[in-house]
Amino acid sequence: MSSGRYAFILAGGVGSRLCLLSERRAKPAVPFGGKYRIIDFTLSNCVNSGIFDIGVLTQYRPTSLNQHIGIGRPWDLDRSRGGVQLLQPTPGASQSDWYQGTADAIYQNLLHLKRRRVDEVLILSGDHIYKMDYNILYGFHRANRALMTVAVTEVPEKDVNQFGILETGPNGRVTAFKEKPRGPVTSRLASMGVYLFDRDALIRWLVEDAGRSDSTHDFGKDILPRLVERGEGVFAYRFPDYWQDVGTLDSYYDANLAFLSAEPPLDLHDPNWVIHTQSADRPPVRVEHGARVRHSMMANGCRVAGEVTNSVLFPGVDVAPGAVIRDSIVMHDTVIGPGAIIEKAILDKDVVIGSGARIGFGTEMSPNRACPEHLSSGLVLVGKRARVPGGITIGRNARIGASVTEDDFTAPVPSGGVVDGPESMH
Amino acid sequence: MQNVMALVLSGGGGERLGVLSAERAVSALPFGGKYRVIDFSLSNCCHSGIDRVGVLAQHAPASLNDHIGAGRPWDLDRRGGGVVILQPYQTRSHAGWYRGTADAITQNWDYLEERRPERVLVLSGDHVYRMDYRALFLAHEQRGASVTMAVTRVPADQSRRFGMVTTDKGGRVRTIEEKPERSTSQSANMGVYVFEFDVLGEMLRTRPVDLVLDVLRPLVDAGERVYAHEFGGYWEDVGTVASYYRASMELVRPEARFQLHDARWPILTRDEERPAALVSDAAEIEDSLIANGCRIDGTVRRSILFPGVRVAAGAVVSDAVVLADTRIEADSRVERAILDKYVRVGEGAVVGDGDEPGPLELNWLGGLVLVGKDTWIPPGGRVQRPASLGVGGRYEDFVQGVVTPGTIVPNRRWFEELR
Repeated sequence: MSSGRYAFILAGGVGSRLCLLSERRAKPAVPFGGKYRIIDFTLSNCVNSGIFDIGVLTQYRPTSLNQHIGIGRPWDLDRSRGGVQLLQPTPGASQSDWYQGTADAIYQNLLHLKRRRVDEVLILSGDHIYKMDYNILYGFHRANRALMTVAVTEVPEKDVNQFGILETGPNGRVTAFKEKPRGPVTSRLASMGVYLFDRDALIRWLVEDAGRSDSTHDFGKDILPRLVERGEGVFAYRFPDYWQDVGTLDSYYDANLAFLSAEPPLDLHDPNWVIHTQSADRPPVRVEHGARVRHSMMANGCRVAGEVTNSVLFPGVDVAPGAVIRDSIVMHDTVIGPGAIIEKAILDKDVVIGSGARIGFGTEMSPNRACPEHLSSGLVLVGKRARVPGGITIGRNARIGASVTEDDFTAPVPSGGVVDGPESMH
Repeated sequence: MQNVMALVLSGGGGERLGVLSAERAVSALPFGGKYRVIDFSLSNCCHSGIDRVGVLAQHAPASLNDHIGAGRPWDLDRRGGGVVILQPYQTRSHAGWYRGTADAITQNWDYLEERRPERVLVLSGDHVYRMDYRALFLAHEQRGASVTMAVTRVPADQSRRFGMVTTDKGGRVRTIEEKPERSTSQSANMGVYVFEFDVLGEMLRTRPVDLVLDVLRPLVDAGERVYAHEFGGYWEDVGTVASYYRASMELVRPEARFQLHDARWPILTRDEERPAALVSDAAEIEDSLIANGCRIDGTVRRSILFPGVRVAAGAVVSDAVVLADTRIEADSRVERAILDKYVRVGEGAVVGDGDEPGPLELNWLGGLVLVGKDTWIPPGGRVQRPASLGVGGRYEDFVQGVVTPGTIVPNRRWFEELR
């Protein structure tokens, strides 16, 4: 099964709606689910489906992805043949240097495809949380003699305007496609950003698209609508299980907390479908005397002496005695000082919260001044390596920039407030 | 360190660990919520810059082979050196099980001769400690010693558990007594030695069996430069049920003398790919270590849960060590017990109740209940302490649902079920 399969993973996403979380890392590298990165789900899907030859296309802030993926060992992708290759744009490689759109990213790497003897090529996005056996997709594709198969999932009516929506005929053939449609629609089938192409057709179409000046060189915006319009053999494969695009802060927050329920959306414990990730040498969680942990997830390396409720703690989080964390996501090695109270917040890695600080304080809900469209549900965001002084209060919808220090705080931060550190300038 | 080869003695069958070592070497015994005991010595090697390690294994080496593999977690997957497991082997002229610690080294001396280290560091695979061996080598060099043995201070009344070492003022060893009832010394031999390669090689020609009795003592008696080096940190030999349990409980004490959390000297091990631990609304956890992959709906106190342990709602686990993937069903109770892997404690069962001291010959159980791998304790069943249930225990082992104090249930073999 593993021979003759090749997948590209598009991992260049800026993820601007994730605000601070993806300010310094590509969206696929954003931590998720207590110990993973978002891209782990797609990478694990590949290897669990027997695909061991993968090109990861990076562009935006690739450092953390490079570090995370490395030579691909956790996914058994450190191979003599195949394996994982990180494909960063190279100056002068072709007409344009940076990848213009998703289709252009593949076009600029066509060399890798031409070298390989495969009949199909799988194109994936590194932005989604799901478990999918791509073998089923291959089976569907071949049974239909499709030139392109798009995996689709049903989304709620209210969300259709955030996705590419497809209409299908009786046997799954795609009859219409609208990218982020406005107004009423007749279908709720959204493209999952998972495409299986006939290799030769893809090469032909990409070459054609590259020559068009009216194209933005994007699969969703250009290629897919054009193929459907022309009546090419495009089919939709309906994926029946959980799939989540964690594109916004609110959906990211909800998706993480959904894993705390007794029946989580994905079984992370399934020994037959392990989600592989890079993991550090950390001891088991130490729950200290007087601690209280309820309805939460905590990864190895944490030390909890305070109270943790309805929260996700990534590896190495330290919760001092008397500290309280509620309804929050706390990333690697963040330290919560004694008596601090954190409510409905996302704290990035290596944050230090001084003793007695109150985060997510009060009932006022003014949207964030800097990014009102992303930060208005009451969530507080604290960037990587920020140091929050003891005793301070920070209102809801506030945004504390990465690497700010105690000196950057002059007064309590009101609801919707912004504290920027030196590094947000560049 | 360029000129050092470490040998980890891991041969012990560990009879004193009962069912815990029935199917594994003592050094492969899980410890501390995710580790194997040998991880401590291997991590010490790694952090001390020793990159050539031989593990001498005889008893159930498969568990060790699986665990150590090519040595990657300790950065011991090297092109030159690295870690190698040295098992007893046959040649045309001999086929020998290791008769003792010194014999195990003798049988592998060819391997060492080819590599010709200047010094040999001899370690034991069943010790829990953090030690920078560089300090030991420094002391060894400064004294121009032939052998340096690490010693640790123990209470005077504990001498019968250890080899007690007396020295002169300069640290030179005068006597080594094996497990004396009483001793004038409080320095116990840790089983950590630095040998000059040639000195050890010479002694092995006499075909010694035991490293202390047949090598170290004769060297001391012959006036060789054998020195003691005192190690001040925490150290525990976990080769008995009582010491394994004591060392485990030390980890969850509020002011633990030994903490697994130490970013400067992490204990390295093979990673289990498990999600973060999940704790439900009704759970209560205190003074415990909880590894990834656990799911806790019940109460856990002063206990160590290895990866994948499930504690269902209403269950109470206290003062217990629970190895990987054991399931503790609803409303059951587990206290003062060590449960091996894949054990199932049925709904409403009670493991480790009662306060009877048990017969004298079961003192080695330390008043605990030991439950072997893959044992099923039936719903509502009771296991009173002290008792030991063998590997693969089943309902038939219970008399009217009860295992009474002092019971030792023998191991079952998987193939017996096929009959």
